[in-house]
Amino acid sequence: MTDGQGMHVSDERGLTPADLQSMRFSRASVLRPGYVETEVDRVLSRMAEELARLVAEKAELRDQVRALQAQMEGMEGVVAQQPPSEQALRILSTAQQTADNYVAEAEEFSRQVTGEARAEYEEQIRLARENAGAIIQAAQEAAAKITANATGAPEGGQRSVEELEEQVAYLKAFGQACRVQLRSYLEALITDVETEWGRADPAGLPPGAPRPLAAPAPRGNTASSTTFEANTAAETPPSGEAGNGTVVSAASGAERRP
Amino acid sequence: MDIPAMRANFGKAAATGDEAPLYFYSHLFLSHPETRAMFPVSMAHQRDRLFTALGDVVARVDDLDSLVPILQQLGRDHRKFGTLAAHYPAVGASLLATLEHFDDEWTPELAKDWTEAYTLVSQVMIEAADEAAGQPAWWDAAVVAHERRTIDVAVLRVRPRTPLPYAAGQSVSLETDLRPRLWRYYSPANAPRPDGLLEFHVKARDGGPVSSALVRRVGVGDVLRLGPPMGHLALDPESDRDLLLVAGGMGLAPMKALLDQVARQGPSRRVDLFVGFRTEDHVYDAPELRRLEQEHPWLTVTVAVSHDKNSSLAQGDVGEVVMRHGPWLSREVFVAGPAPMVDDTVSRLLRDGVPRQRLHSEIFAPSRPGPSVDGEVTE
Repeated sequence: MTDGQGMHVSDERGLTPADLQSMRFSRASVLRPGYVETEVDRVLSRMAEELARLVAEKAELRDQVRALQAQMEGMEGVVAQQPPSEQALRILSTAQQTADNYVAEAEEFSRQVTGEARAEYEEQIRLARENAGAIIQAAQEAAAKITANATGAPEGGQRSVEELEEQVAYLKAFGQACRVQLRSYLEALITDVETEWGRADPAGLPPGAPRPLAAPAPRGNTASSTTFEANTAAETPPSGEAGNGTVVSAASGAERRP
Repeated sequence: MDIPAMRANFGKAAATGDEAPLYFYSHLFLSHPETRAMFPVSMAHQRDRLFTALGDVVARVDDLDSLVPILQQLGRDHRKFGTLAAHYPAVGASLLATLEHFDDEWTPELAKDWTEAYTLVSQVMIEAADEAAGQPAWWDAAVVAHERRTIDVAVLRVRPRTPLPYAAGQSVSLETDLRPRLWRYYSPANAPRPDGLLEFHVKARDGGPVSSALVRRVGVGDVLRLGPPMGHLALDPESDRDLLLVAGGMGLAPMKALLDQVARQGPSRRVDLFVGFRTEDHVYDAPELRRLEQEHPWLTVTVAVSHDKNSSLAQGDVGEVVMRHGPWLSREVFVAGPAPMVDDTVSRLLRDGVPRQRLHSEIFAPSRPGPSVDGEVTE
């Protein structure tokens, strides 16, 4: 019943410092001083085993630490982390697509609106230019005719000038007639108003009052009617002569072609 | 590296259309949220571009001679986006995750090959970016003049805060704070000047976010960001051959730059400039062209209109008008403008016998967000 034998108890949990401290060896015999050799040997071999195990374990741990450190270094910049979950990826993808669609729609809308505005603008410019061109052409033709007339133009020119004069005379007469008719209509209207007013409040009616009020209206009307007539007058001759104009340009075009 | 296997694997992702790039960017932004700010709000065009570029790289992965210069250019150009070396592994990880996600037969060998290939690609790009570190990543340039010339064309003059070296005929990309992260390529319309001013001709495209902003909203005092110059239209310094310059619409800008270079540096030579527009209203630079023609006895400018019968200018497509004036067999020829105009003009000149190597052309697409992987600034 030696303590050395008692060590069997702690066999499973390895050799502890306390085990060593509490260890006692038996005397070998009365004749020979010292511990029993076999017991000492057993303890030594167990200690050797234990040390070897610890050394191996330490090496293993050191390797693990190094591996982890290396891994950490490799991850620097690329922060070590879980890969994003499928769900997160789907949510972000959908959000991004929604944003893309909004932007695309806005761009498409802007494209349509500016496209239409530009088309409209260009059409207006084209029309204006065509109008201007027609007016200039008419003016040039009229000018040519007047010069031709003044320098004793051939009969053809003379005749169209006569026609023009005839037309102008007709239009003047027409304008005059319109003016007369309008004036008489307006005067009748004024008379009506005067009588109505006069009936309602004879005292409040200054003798010439309605006239200045009503006068600008007929004047304005006649004015606009004359300009209107003037416009048609200006437009009519070119349209009447349009045949000439196209013939001329077609001829010059034909000249250019060869 | 098993290149056919990598191509097959890439093909699977590419076949999903928009899905794979969508997955890639979502993966990248979730794992590295700081990269999101480097991209525009709408990623639609970006996604197209990414997989087109990757496809080009994959197609050339066994032809390093042509791939490396492209990657170097890409690497240098990416500096203006704020790309740092640290961003490359992040992109690589997301790329690998994407390629794996869309391939049921993903293998560790593929992972290894792609990692290797990507590491190589990013190394080349990072090195090129580092070599360019002496140059600014971008140039801030203040708008010093902004003229609206027609309903949708503006001429801008900008002054970079530090000199921006470029050659006449090249393009630079630019970005405005009004449309963040949308870079577009424009050609300066002048050769480098002692005062550093650059002139840009901008046409507002219907619905074009950047061009409309540049024409209608940017004003004097605003600051644009300019990227490094690129493009291949340039005068051969060795040659003093007479020039034929043909421009369609906004293609006038690089032609004016070449013209300006001849005027500034010589050698003196005959220059014939033909510029085509649809109608006379679109001729946004007429007084300037007249002034140049009066100033330089060696210069002849012909403006043509294709859809304006009332105009007194030369009638017809500009290519046709050019052919009416020939012969051009001895000239060095530069052509810039919209694709149909460039194709038409180039094929007419070739038919006429102008040698291919003396014909230089650049297509101006309506929107030019970036150079192709060939380094051409064509969309």
